[in-house]
Amino acid sequence: MTTTTPPPFDAELAAALEVLKEQMPSRFAELDIHARRTEYTELELSDEDLRHGGDFEFEELTVPGPAGELRLLVGRPSGPATGTLYYIHGGGMILGSHRSPDLAYALDWAAELGLAVVSVDYRLAPEHPHPAPVEDCYAGLVWTAEQFDGPLVLAGVSAGGGLAAATALLARDRGGPALTAQMLLCPMLDDRNDTASAHQMTGLGIWDRNANELGWTALLGDRRGTPEVSPYAAPARAEDLSGLPPAFIDVGSAETFRDEAVAYATRLWQAGGQAELHVWPGGFHGFDGLAPQAAISAAARAPRLPWLRRVLGA
Amino acid sequence: MKDLVGRLSALDPDAGAALKVIAYFDRLVDSHAGLEPIVRGAAVLSGRVARLTVPDRRVLIRVDPDGHRLGDGPPPDAGWPRAGLRSGGALCLERSGPAGPIDAMVLERAVAAVHGVLDRTGEREPREVVLDAAAPVETRLRAARRLGLGETARAVALDGGRARVQAAGTPLTSEERQGIGPVVPVPELPASLAAAKTALRFAATEPDPGPRVVHADELGGLAVLATAVGHDTEPAPDVVALDRALAGAHWVLPTLVAVADSPSLRTAATTLVVHHSTLQERLAHSEALLGWPVRDPRGRLRLQLAIALWRLHRNPE
Repeated sequence: MTTTTPPPFDAELAAALEVLKEQMPSRFAELDIHARRTEYTELELSDEDLRHGGDFEFEELTVPGPAGELRLLVGRPSGPATGTLYYIHGGGMILGSHRSPDLAYALDWAAELGLAVVSVDYRLAPEHPHPAPVEDCYAGLVWTAEQFDGPLVLAGVSAGGGLAAATALLARDRGGPALTAQMLLCPMLDDRNDTASAHQMTGLGIWDRNANELGWTALLGDRRGTPEVSPYAAPARAEDLSGLPPAFIDVGSAETFRDEAVAYATRLWQAGGQAELHVWPGGFHGFDGLAPQAAISAAARAPRLPWLRRVLGA
Repeated sequence: MKDLVGRLSALDPDAGAALKVIAYFDRLVDSHAGLEPIVRGAAVLSGRVARLTVPDRRVLIRVDPDGHRLGDGPPPDAGWPRAGLRSGGALCLERSGPAGPIDAMVLERAVAAVHGVLDRTGEREPREVVLDAAAPVETRLRAARRLGLGETARAVALDGGRARVQAAGTPLTSEERQGIGPVVPVPELPASLAAAKTALRFAATEPDPGPRVVHADELGGLAVLATAVGHDTEPAPDVVALDRALAGAHWVLPTLVAVADSPSLRTAATTLVVHHSTLQERLAHSEALLGWPVRDPRGRLRLQLAIALWRLHRNPE
């Protein structure tokens, strides 16, 4: 595929990236995963962050999982829960935890809407390749659906967005919990890593094609990019996207996942599904969380809560 | 994600932080960011409300360290760290007490970026730009293309410091008092305007019945004369005499102007709609007031020069 000129980064995001890239190099692949994990652990939300000013009471539970124990972080709102947000953290399939910093925004929405929050500590690749992460996510979802009444929304960022889409496919195909909606933020959906945007953004931004290859290879090993990859690993592989819950999908125009996110939304519509798609011009991967002060980040955050209200009928 | 936010905002006062400030603003400049992103950068990197005022653009931008745009807020405090703009405004960090070590660098870099934006977006009226000798020639040529001027054009000076630019060959339509500059290649329009302004000084103002439209091309040596009369120039004795004469009777001014401008006394009489003998009487009276004859060639030249100087004094540059 010919590499073409990439879309420019938004001016403020470019400036933020200039500062952030020291800490978050695009050449992820050259880095030691374990060192990165240690670093990432330092960013985990504290108990105080989780309480969100008294909006939630949190407990860490261990529930039965596909391979023994599965850790869940369960936050209950101070009043009666109006529904549940099941959250799957990001981290390229190789990093992060149920306390990852990207959970912070989910807490904001949940607090606003009076939702319970369940965050799943799925096992990470490469020690735990597919299907371990998605089966953990699914097991946590099943437990959550049994524990909480009311609407159930699945949400995740980046790898968590990909896992959320895959978990929704599993729920559909196994006759599992009925989902109200799925929120896929800059989701990691396609192991083939071969879209125009993946090529364009090579060497640029926070999570480039090389980093993406590292993440997918950790999850899939030699199967990455071959016809043997399951749609429950890479939802872009799913041939049938009908019968899925309404989706909210957002992505930046200047990032690896742009084309796979747009394609997923398009295919949901083509399958008779509902999707709300936002493509933010000049956004790099995870821009709204990494450079939250930028005007475009505020714009990108704005439609999420209204969408949640609509799908929840709140 | 707030811990990652912290990586941007909670800069340590060390060399690494300074480099981040430089990198951040350099990148904003490279990306042609507008004023608000720059002010937001200053707020986020300093951890203070940043406030930019640009009075001549009527700009007031206040942003808090989380990146939110704020209202106008309280009047600025003289104690806040601030950096002035060339155009008069300033960028302040709203903090009392001593400035943090990073503040000075944030202000310096942010103001440099603000200047870049103001220079870039200070898109003035193209009319104004083509006449501005201080503007780069490329900028003036671009403005000329926007005006559709072609290769050559002229400047026209008008009252009140106004000016007009006309493509060569444009007929003069206005009756307005004006000085017409020479037709020149577009990059020389500022010089055409200078000549037009000189011509305007010779254009008649009430109650002077002389020509209200004067062409710089036709001034000849009078243009040199114009340089001799400024705000503080003492009027020559002939100008004093002319002023004194004009105070004598209401017909003195039109009579002398007609005589000075007409090829013959008979033509002047026709212009003034008076009998030739009446004109002779009036001139005799005027000559007595002036103190020199105006009916011989030397006296007429002296009269013409006196009127020209009188106009220059009435319309100092």
